[in-house]
Amino acid sequence: MRRVLYAFGAAGGVLLLGTILHPGFASWPSLQAMLVVASFTGFVAAGQMLVVLVGGIDLSIPWVLNGAAIMLTTTALGQPGRLPYALLVALAVGAAAGLANGLGVAWLGVPAVVMTLGMNGVLQGLSLGLSKGLTCATCGSYAPEPLRGLFPLGALLVWAGVALLVTVVLTLTTFGRRVYAVGVNPRAAYLAGVGVRGVTVALYTLSGVFAALAGVMLVGYGGQPSLGLGDPYLFESIAAVVVGGVSILGGRGHYAGVVAGALTLVAVTTFLQAQRVPEYGRLMIYGLVILVILLAYGRTRAHD
Amino acid sequence: MRDLAGRLGYLVLAATAVAYLAVYATGLGRLPTAFDYLSILNTTLPLVFVAIGQSLVVLTGGIDLSVGGTVSLCVAVTAVAVTGFEQLPLVLAIGTACGVVNGLIVAAGRIAPILATLATLPIFTGAALWVLPVPGGSIPPQIRAVLTNPDLPTGLIWLGLAVAGWLVLRRTRFGMRVYAIGSDAGAARAVGVPVERVTFGVYALSGLCCALAAVFYVSTTTAGDANAGAPFILTSIAAVVVGGVAFTGGRGSAVGAVAGAAALALVIDVLFFAGIDPLYQALFQGLFLVVAVMLGSLAMLLRRAT
Repeated sequence: MRRVLYAFGAAGGVLLLGTILHPGFASWPSLQAMLVVASFTGFVAAGQMLVVLVGGIDLSIPWVLNGAAIMLTTTALGQPGRLPYALLVALAVGAAAGLANGLGVAWLGVPAVVMTLGMNGVLQGLSLGLSKGLTCATCGSYAPEPLRGLFPLGALLVWAGVALLVTVVLTLTTFGRRVYAVGVNPRAAYLAGVGVRGVTVALYTLSGVFAALAGVMLVGYGGQPSLGLGDPYLFESIAAVVVGGVSILGGRGHYAGVVAGALTLVAVTTFLQAQRVPEYGRLMIYGLVILVILLAYGRTRAHD
Repeated sequence: MRDLAGRLGYLVLAATAVAYLAVYATGLGRLPTAFDYLSILNTTLPLVFVAIGQSLVVLTGGIDLSVGGTVSLCVAVTAVAVTGFEQLPLVLAIGTACGVVNGLIVAAGRIAPILATLATLPIFTGAALWVLPVPGGSIPPQIRAVLTNPDLPTGLIWLGLAVAGWLVLRRTRFGMRVYAIGSDAGAARAVGVPVERVTFGVYALSGLCCALAAVFYVSTTTAGDANAGAPFILTSIAAVVVGGVAFTGGRGSAVGAVAGAAALALVIDVLFFAGIDPLYQALFQGLFLVVAVMLGSLAMLLRRAT
């Protein structure tokens, strides 16, 4: 739990620094805008955290997200009546991709990096090919109104719901205990009767669903999908997970920390934009901030 | 059957090469010419170098995500500052310096390789954007004539040197220690291997390889782009994996990774000559990656069963 506090400390520190240099940086309207942007990272990071907890990694997030986003608008066709069906289809795409990842990793023994990297390519090819490079007849559709009307407060409620759900499942259910058991020591968990493979498959499936949810929310926010929509979220999701104090080796971490991690990353970017730092400087400072946070509480134990 | 997984790269490369010849011959009604081979060689060389560096890191059980940033930075410096051979050491020094930074953070800072290099990736990419804000720059023709001559197979010399360099390196004390650390870092430490120093060296070498890749990249494309390195992150990992280097470390070789890189490059040509819509290219590359690795683990299973 100490790392969760550190993560909130980091977020608070960045917000405090922002307020000192830009009065109003942490005012409610500005904070709300930052939270909305952070929620997208929060969704993908929820899935990434779940697989990282069992020592895995999900590199298929960018095109699961992008594919689900395209699926939503091309199924809903901008009609509010078709939204529930479109939502179901988009999330099912994410679940199917995640399920395939999980089966490949848990049953076929393909390394997580390879399986999810391959899946990312497969979905990229399918998204581009089936939508003819996003030039298909229905590709110009907008996200239907109820979804777009969610912003900003409704979207934050969705994030709060996800945060509550993930936290409750991980801390209060048997499934949650099994996840940490597998993360700490898969062999010991197996011997203790935990269905390691089943847990792994479930987590990769959930990661796919969360990536798809991020895609759905992003088209709700921006109106239309674009190609490459998910690309920034691959490394961003890993960064949020780690800044949130989750151990990359698995078995340790809480979603509350990841929420703080996502907020920290967005606050840093927003602050640098407010300071009118050019892009090269933003990238370098962003990397340095992650580095400093890693050195502060992301180090592995010394081998003596 | 002995160590089939370790030979995965060569088998996959052989299969891809056969497929390439088949689709080329059926598509164009003749066999590829020397020009075709040369253009494949020249466009593959940058990935070959990045894959060699990446395989060294993966052999110790680590991973280097910052190759994208290091290649970008070195591409930018090459395109902006190199006016003759005398500036090339500068590029190599910058690439090595990037690797040294990674090595310090991983070995002395005790931060997991994937995280350390995830943090330095935007730092190096930012530096590249600072050096070359918009795509452009150039490379002197005399360098191009020596590195990736469009008419003479000079690339073969450099490919040969890279492979020879690896074959020498793996037989040195350093090379042995790389494998020792990847197999079991704890045991390596117990028998007196300076784990931190070797780890540091591996990342520095990966940086140097990225610099070499960048020089060849600019030489082939004749211009620079501060985002040129980004695709190399995932393709170098794919090349290493297809090349049969185990992600757990300690198994595989950089020559396998070179074969993996060549196979990945050939797959693109196979898809092209097979008349596959380029929009579906990523789909087949993804399947290729997963299937190649599945065959590897299947071979392992069979070996264990017999």
